[in-house]
Amino acid sequence: MSQPPAPADFGPDSGTRMKGVTVVKPIVYGNVARYFGAKREEDGHTHQWTVYVKPYHNEDMSAYVKKVHFKLHESYANQNRVCLKPPYEITETGWGEFEIVIKIYFHDTNERPVTLYHELKLFLSGSDAQMGKRLLVTEWYEEIVFQDPTTYTHHLLTNTKPITSGVYTHETNFEEKKKKSLDSIMKAKATVRGQINELKDKLKLAKETIATFRAEMEKTKQIEELQSC
Amino acid sequence: MADIRDILDIERPTGPEVTKEAILGPEKKAKRLIFNGTKASKRPEGMAREVFALLYNDKKDAPPVFPTDTGQGYKSNKAKLGMKSVRPWKWTPFSNPARKDNAMFFHWRRVCDEGKDYPFAKFNKVVPIPTYTEAEYQSHLVAEGWTKPETDHLFDLCRRFDLRFVIIQDRYDYVQFKKRSIEELKERYYSVVSALAKVKTGPGLTAEAKIYSFDAEHERKRKEQLHRLYLRTSEQVEEEQMLQNELKKIEARKKERDKKTQDLQKLITAADHQQEPRKNDKKFSRKKIQTASSRPKIDQLVRQSTELSSIKFPDLKGSGVTVRSQRMKLPANIGQKKMKAIEAMLQELQTETNPMPTEENCTHFNELRSDLLLLYELKTAMANCEFELQALRHQYEAANPGKTLTLPKILQPDPPPVKADESGSGNGQVKNEIIDVVGSPTAMTG
Repeated sequence: MSQPPAPADFGPDSGTRMKGVTVVKPIVYGNVARYFGAKREEDGHTHQWTVYVKPYHNEDMSAYVKKVHFKLHESYANQNRVCLKPPYEITETGWGEFEIVIKIYFHDTNERPVTLYHELKLFLSGSDAQMGKRLLVTEWYEEIVFQDPTTYTHHLLTNTKPITSGVYTHETNFEEKKKKSLDSIMKAKATVRGQINELKDKLKLAKETIATFRAEMEKTKQIEELQSC
Repeated sequence: MADIRDILDIERPTGPEVTKEAILGPEKKAKRLIFNGTKASKRPEGMAREVFALLYNDKKDAPPVFPTDTGQGYKSNKAKLGMKSVRPWKWTPFSNPARKDNAMFFHWRRVCDEGKDYPFAKFNKVVPIPTYTEAEYQSHLVAEGWTKPETDHLFDLCRRFDLRFVIIQDRYDYVQFKKRSIEELKERYYSVVSALAKVKTGPGLTAEAKIYSFDAEHERKRKEQLHRLYLRTSEQVEEEQMLQNELKKIEARKKERDKKTQDLQKLITAADHQQEPRKNDKKFSRKKIQTASSRPKIDQLVRQSTELSSIKFPDLKGSGVTVRSQRMKLPANIGQKKMKAIEAMLQELQTETNPMPTEENCTHFNELRSDLLLLYELKTAMANCEFELQALRHQYEAANPGKTLTLPKILQPDPPPVKADESGSGNGQVKNEIIDVVGSPTAMTG
């Protein structure tokens, strides 16, 4: 483990929190899957897959991550797999999709581990399933938010080294996805606001109309009463 | 065991027989013998086992033959009899002062009470009935339909029967005078009494300082009503019950409606808030934050969205590590139905249900869903309003045949023709009196 030397006044045990400080570490998690092309005779497996957790930016997560815990389907021999250092990934073969529970533990035991849930994806949902592309990538962007980190954690978080000296990219273009996401949300928001406004005015009118109708009804009732007297 | 048997003076088995029991041990044998000894008091046939168990204790003694409980226990104390000599009683004659005939009766009386008045005489209460003279009658009491002899007769009966008008009416002299109802009699009596009370204060009138005014008409109506109530058929009773139930339902509905109107107002206010620029809140929250502690931007945004939205998203403000997507989780208290509705609306808007959890996306997505929930609630409210408008219109049309209420154009349902108008256009009568309630320019054309 490559752990940066921690100054003596804030060790793992000090646990002092830095109020008002927030550090965000974006990560990417998911799986790649490759179809064998045929069902394997011995065990009926059809795919090889790799589930992974990796940093979004080019930095070494092991600076602050102690270990990553993958919990596979119970049908796997020792379903709990632990990665102590990067790359945090597990490669297996199988024939079915299931939910993998990923738990990320931190060096500072004062920071509780976070849990991610990933639906292992082996099959494309479209009609080109298994046929065209052999390699299927399903990965998600996530952010780990350190709210009021301990001084120790803060130190670890701010002193990370890059993983590679080369260009660090992901299979998925998250920047584009982010933009698209935001655009669609903002568009939807504008639409909804418009609808709310419109509906609100309509409702106000409806309310008034109901009141008028009621008054009208009252009037007729009174007239009726007068006539009957 | 042997010691106990000695203490309890239970006979040891003598002359053991060579049986299996004898070989196995004397205890068993002894037990058997005890049972044999008490065999005489076997449970009688038909007696419940539990009752039998109450009778016998474990020593198998016979139950006591006579009660042993001599203490007072819960029983009340017995009468304490005095030891003084008995006061003498005497068979004496007495007359009841309440009676006017001076009849003489006899009864047993204590000697010491001799000479005292008959104690029950005081219970003979006499109702003071006022009297009037010929002159008074002529000047004050003349009334239509009543002659002096008849009035005299009435007052005589009142005196005789202590204002028991049912009896008075029964004994009324119908041969000499005409038939009168109780109300008529009462009316006449009380009118005379009040007239007398006004003109003079005399014996039998001072007591009636408060003049009792008898409302004969009301009394007649009351009796009539009671009579009718009594004569109802079972069908009528059922109908009334049914109507009362209906009334309850109507009232419940009215209550519900009022509640809805209130909710509606709340919704509109909420919508107003949602639409207003958030400057004020921003200032406010910023101030608050500055005074409290310099919180980072995320918190501020989260707070804003949670403060304004109808959805309370989890604001993970506590220190520690969290995953951003946690902040987009809909809280469970929203309920399945609304969650589904939000999801459906998101799909309709072609927005992902799980956008990339960046800070910006989170904030806006949460705001979007708050808006969606508000929109959903507004839609529901609108549907209710539309329904109610329809209902009111139908009510109105039913109450005022030939008239109708016209909806403002915006509120008219999408398939535009107003049913009542169409159906009524045949006879042409409906159209002539359309009330333009809201005053929308298009309303008159309908």
